[in-house]
Amino acid sequence: MPDPARPAVVELRGVSKEYMRDKTPVPVLKDTDLDIPQGDFVAVMGPSGSGKSTLLNLVAGLDRATTGTVTVAGQELGELSESKLTRWRSHHLGFIFQLYNLMPVLTAFENVELPLLLTSLSRRERAEHVRTALKIVGLQERHDHFPRQLSGGQEQRVAIARALVNDPVLLLADEPTGNLDSTAAQEIMDLLQQLNEEFDKTIVMVTHDPRAARRARRMLHLEKGTFVETEVDALEARR
Amino acid sequence: MVPIKYNIRSLRSRWVSSMMTVLGTGLVVWASVLSFGLADGLNHTLEVSGEKLDIIVMRKGSTAETNSTVSEAVSREIDALSGIATNADGAKLCSPELVVLDNVPRRGDNGRANMMIRGVSPVAKYLRKDFKIVEGRENRPGVREAITSRSMARRFEGAGLGEELEAIDGKFLIVGLFEAGQGATESEVWADIDVVAQASKREGARSSIQIRANNPSDATRLIDRIKNDPQFGLDAITETAYFAEQANSGMALKIVGRTIAIILTIGAMFAVANTMYAAVASRAREIGTLRAVGFGRTTVLVSFLLESIILCLAGGVLGCLGVLPLNGISTGTANWQTFSELTFAFRFGPVVLIQALLLALFMGAAGGLFPAIRATRLKIVDALREI
Amino acid sequence: MKFLPYILRNVMRNKLRAIFTGMSIAVSLFLVTVLYAYINVQDETGEKTKQFARIVVTAKQGLTFPVPIAHVDKVRALSGVEAAVPLSWFGGKYQDEKIPFGQFATDPEQINTVLSEYDVKPAELAAFKADRGGCLVGSRAAEQRNWKVGDNIVLKGDIYPVTLELTINGIFTSESSTDQLESLWFHFTYLDELLKKDRSRQAGNAGTIFVKAASPDNLGDLMDRINETFKHTDAPVRAVTEQAFRQMFTEMLGNVQAYIRNVALAVVISLMLVAGNAMAMSMRERTREVAVLKAIGFTRFIVLSLVLVEAILIAMIGGAVGVLGAKLLFAMRDIVFRGIPGISGFYVPWSTVIFGMALAAMIGLFSGIVPAWRAAQVSVVDGLRKVV
Repeated sequence: MPDPARPAVVELRGVSKEYMRDKTPVPVLKDTDLDIPQGDFVAVMGPSGSGKSTLLNLVAGLDRATTGTVTVAGQELGELSESKLTRWRSHHLGFIFQLYNLMPVLTAFENVELPLLLTSLSRRERAEHVRTALKIVGLQERHDHFPRQLSGGQEQRVAIARALVNDPVLLLADEPTGNLDSTAAQEIMDLLQQLNEEFDKTIVMVTHDPRAARRARRMLHLEKGTFVETEVDALEARR
Repeated sequence: MVPIKYNIRSLRSRWVSSMMTVLGTGLVVWASVLSFGLADGLNHTLEVSGEKLDIIVMRKGSTAETNSTVSEAVSREIDALSGIATNADGAKLCSPELVVLDNVPRRGDNGRANMMIRGVSPVAKYLRKDFKIVEGRENRPGVREAITSRSMARRFEGAGLGEELEAIDGKFLIVGLFEAGQGATESEVWADIDVVAQASKREGARSSIQIRANNPSDATRLIDRIKNDPQFGLDAITETAYFAEQANSGMALKIVGRTIAIILTIGAMFAVANTMYAAVASRAREIGTLRAVGFGRTTVLVSFLLESIILCLAGGVLGCLGVLPLNGISTGTANWQTFSELTFAFRFGPVVLIQALLLALFMGAAGGLFPAIRATRLKIVDALREI
Repeated sequence: MKFLPYILRNVMRNKLRAIFTGMSIAVSLFLVTVLYAYINVQDETGEKTKQFARIVVTAKQGLTFPVPIAHVDKVRALSGVEAAVPLSWFGGKYQDEKIPFGQFATDPEQINTVLSEYDVKPAELAAFKADRGGCLVGSRAAEQRNWKVGDNIVLKGDIYPVTLELTINGIFTSESSTDQLESLWFHFTYLDELLKKDRSRQAGNAGTIFVKAASPDNLGDLMDRINETFKHTDAPVRAVTEQAFRQMFTEMLGNVQAYIRNVALAVVISLMLVAGNAMAMSMRERTREVAVLKAIGFTRFIVLSLVLVEAILIAMIGGAVGVLGAKLLFAMRDIVFRGIPGISGFYVPWSTVIFGMALAAMIGLFSGIVPAWRAAQVSVVDGLRKVV
């Protein structure tokens, strides 16, 4: 059980989100509250259309809530303008996608370096950070390989290194094992667990995969836009 | 055969990309046609000027009237030769003429150019194809009056009807405007030969004599007679031959025009190839399906080639349409043989337009060939797997 | 810029497309460069002659009217005139050549003073001065026809009904100018005597008079005095600077300049469409990547700039190939265009190169602006949406 005494990295209060489809509002999230303290590892599960991806997008600041407040790392996202939000993202968040989403024209090293180009670090400083990140995910020897030369699992690890490289407050993972076979999936989940336990990274992971979900500290179920929590299962599975 | 409507619908579904390619090739065709039209207009002006039975007599060794002198005495002897035609009114079609160049300012701020002033007798007009006064009247002999063409009036200072042209040693009143079948005559200003001779301090001088023979055998006889007389020191050639030589100026322009068109086409070919490669790439799955269904390699190749050609022909038509408003617009350039300014009109006749469309066709075929070949090389299995 | 490697990678992501777009721009801008060079060379050459402080005197009514040879001495007598020579275009036929090259009847004593940028060996110049039937030929004229000092050549008159038999006394070259290098200079007196023998009315015509002023200042005043000197004679003149004289020839081409400008405009617009299309196609394939960049934290401005720079880069690389290629080709014209007359003076001035590159940059800018804008507007949420 994460220590509630630790500062909340994510705080949602009364958050609702609805989309317009042909002038009819379609509610996706309904009046949701959520607290994620530092060092937590949360798996968000639910059937499709339940709003999991929407939730992630709101926490990431990629989308804006219709009502309610979203506060991440002490910053209320609703207060920021579009460009400020974008800059804020580069400093505070790390993304891991189902389809890895690496730039095909860049090597592993350069892909990991990408977020650092937004900072004022010198070339040497950037290289240091990249090497550290690649070491953590165990891919230093492949730093000069292009994505097409890597296996699915390796690509995802590069993506994780990219998410780590700017030392973010929060890691957001959207179906990180969705495109991997069971061996690679296990490796990735090992890595995420390691990041959470050894490096104290706060992780919010959306997933379909129950085996992946069981690696988290907490499991949250979203159904038709509201939470149904079942943390006991998680603890059970891990012990 | 893959039905053409497949190609047309594909083009329409990517209509922005297609439109840009059509416009791009259209512009290239436009520029090419402009070049062809320029050369064609120039040639036409020089060709039209030649009448088969007409003979130009100049001093031996001269290549142009501006370099030639014929004395009054010899001129009279020529006049007395047999075989020269007479017109319905009984006037003998033997016209002594004196050509003088003067540097005259163009209208607006367009600099100056050498203008050709021809001193003529009343008979001269009969020796020009389709000559007719369209405004005002003819100039009278012995008076400082002059006539010229509409295009000259438009382009040079003081050459308009009723205006006074500053030329040679003073002013000439423009009393009439003429047309002469768009030939070289429309680049000239005409005045009485004796007035011109006096103004340029060359009393009695002539540059050339123009004669119309009764018939072709008379023409040949006259030419021989004049050329072979040791006392005359003259040369005689048919008008058509005379202008053919002057067309050498046009030759350079023609070569330049063609070169420009070719270079532009090569540039456009790369652009077309680009578009078609992208089309092939994005339709990989469609191609796979076509092949899986049973359309053969050649059929697919022809289909894509056709699409490329359709694109370019559309551009070609656009380019041709864009050029038509310029048809007949007159402009001028230097005739390096006579060293005077030659007025001519852009000519976009059927020949030029067909040349342009052929160019567009070539562009489409050559540019689209390699992409079309790539379309056939796709392995069906791979193609179907593409997203 | 630290983003440059990324941008360059994107330029080359589809090598075929990049090369084809680049080639399209290169070929077309090569053409535009050559066309504009044609216009600009005249201007530049004209500018260069300013330093020689020369004035050209023609008959008032125009180039084809005679200038009495006696005028030359009167011009020489004016103060401020260092030297003056007649330069009369003979325009004769050499063997089978269709286009007459520059053959000028002139005064051997002062010709090298007036046309000072040409170098002749002193012995050869002396020989020329002494030999009335002699001539000096430009180095290129000699090269093209394999002439050597001592050769005899025959020129059949076209404008003048005489035949000249000349001996080559020397060959002149120049380090700074190519203008006269395809020409030939011979004695005016030789031509004049032949004409007088025939009692031709064409004798005594200096054609044009080239005057070298003692100083480049006050050319205007000198020209006025020259005009004044002959104003009330039978043969009034017009004196203009050498630069203005050259410009007259460009002016004679009239609307060719307008034609060139129109073709260039059509070409540039066409290239904008072509490059724009290629860029748009490229960006269509990258919607997801752009969304990822924005998710990571790349602002709209950065995304727009990346795309715009990419477009400009492609255009300028292609442009450089075409424009510099043109310059290089004509710099080597002696090898490439050997034997073609008239081309020796042609080159691509740097001003034209800069103009061409500016066009390339503009093409890049306009071709990239719409794809760049659309990339900046990509919705991250939509762009990241999973396909399945």
